[in-house]
Amino acid sequence: MTESGSGLSAGLSPKGQATATLPRWDPLLRLTHWGVAGVVLGNYALTKEGSSVHIALGWIGLGLLALRLIWGFVGPAEARFASFSPNPMAALRHLASLARGQAPHYPSHNPAGAMMAYALWACLAVLTVTGILMTGASPMKQAELEAAVAAGDWSAVVEEGGDGEENESPGGEALEEVHEVAANLILLLALLHVAGVAVESRVMRRNLVAPMLVPRRRRR
Amino acid sequence: MTAQASSLLAGRRRPVALALFLLVQMFAAVFFVGDAIADVLEGDVGPHLYFEMLVALALALGVGLGALALRQTLEEMKAQDVALASARGALGDVIAAQFTAWGLTPAERDVAFLALKGLDVAEIAELRGRAAGTVRAQLARIYAKAGVSGRAQFAAWFVEDLLGEGLETEPQHG
Repeated sequence: MTESGSGLSAGLSPKGQATATLPRWDPLLRLTHWGVAGVVLGNYALTKEGSSVHIALGWIGLGLLALRLIWGFVGPAEARFASFSPNPMAALRHLASLARGQAPHYPSHNPAGAMMAYALWACLAVLTVTGILMTGASPMKQAELEAAVAAGDWSAVVEEGGDGEENESPGGEALEEVHEVAANLILLLALLHVAGVAVESRVMRRNLVAPMLVPRRRRR
Repeated sequence: MTAQASSLLAGRRRPVALALFLLVQMFAAVFFVGDAIADVLEGDVGPHLYFEMLVALALALGVGLGALALRQTLEEMKAQDVALASARGALGDVIAAQFTAWGLTPAERDVAFLALKGLDVAEIAELRGRAAGTVRAQLARIYAKAGVSGRAQFAAWFVEDLLGEGLETEPQHG
């Protein structure tokens, strides 16, 4: 709580006006945010499961997640984990104050948004790890396989023990199950996230989307 | 670094360029780490693997150092913004206090502010919906109260403080 308390006063300008109340997201944070959004939507709606493009997008998602997690330790104040530690009770309090129309400003994620961020990262981690376990640690294997098949060399498929589902191990099925559940969960969470942003933007008349889109300088 | 690259990385777009660069580096690092792990799992240990590990290590170090550099750049820019804002606020406070000390009326204060901002008589008149003659008379009263001869001296009154001891030290060095 002291974290958000001191953060609130830091969000005020020297003259005490509530000008700098919306978070200033840095470019790396914005890039990883929209990158992850693109990867999740792309792999949900556009790519074929198990295809080399699906796998490549997954690896890109892992890279984005890793960079964001590093940024959580070395980034500027509003990107660091220390300024939005997970606190379910504070998240509930924030939602309650939002329902009363009195949600305070936070220099970083609000407590509910913070819980959402951690949940999304956990889902993304599970998704990428199960995906990698299913396809092998080499990001290029499936692409090489597809290239070989495209070139008419089916021996690669035979060597790998077949691409079909008939000789999959039970462990593989469990992985697939977890992968699918995590995928559905992350979509659900993403919808909740968008809904939360929309509600707070509307109820509190503050545009939470703009800081994630463009740097503040250009919005002024 | 070439001149073009340094101009590309200069100013406000620098953090974006750095962040993009970090992203590409991170993708490469993840690729090499994954590939190295795959090689280990397949028992494919040899010079090739050691080199891959070296590349992965170099990329990971690059990401870490790049992230630190980006954070430093962002903090410097933030500090500049704060300094600029406080300097702006401080100058505004100084000007307002001086206007009060000179006993300017509210209308005169407005005109004086606009004059300091560099607007000419016609522009001030249009902005305030007054006749040019009125503005000219107000300016004359402002200059009289401030004890300056005209607009140039009026503006210099405030700039002088910012320049510090520039006038006295200049001849000694020259």
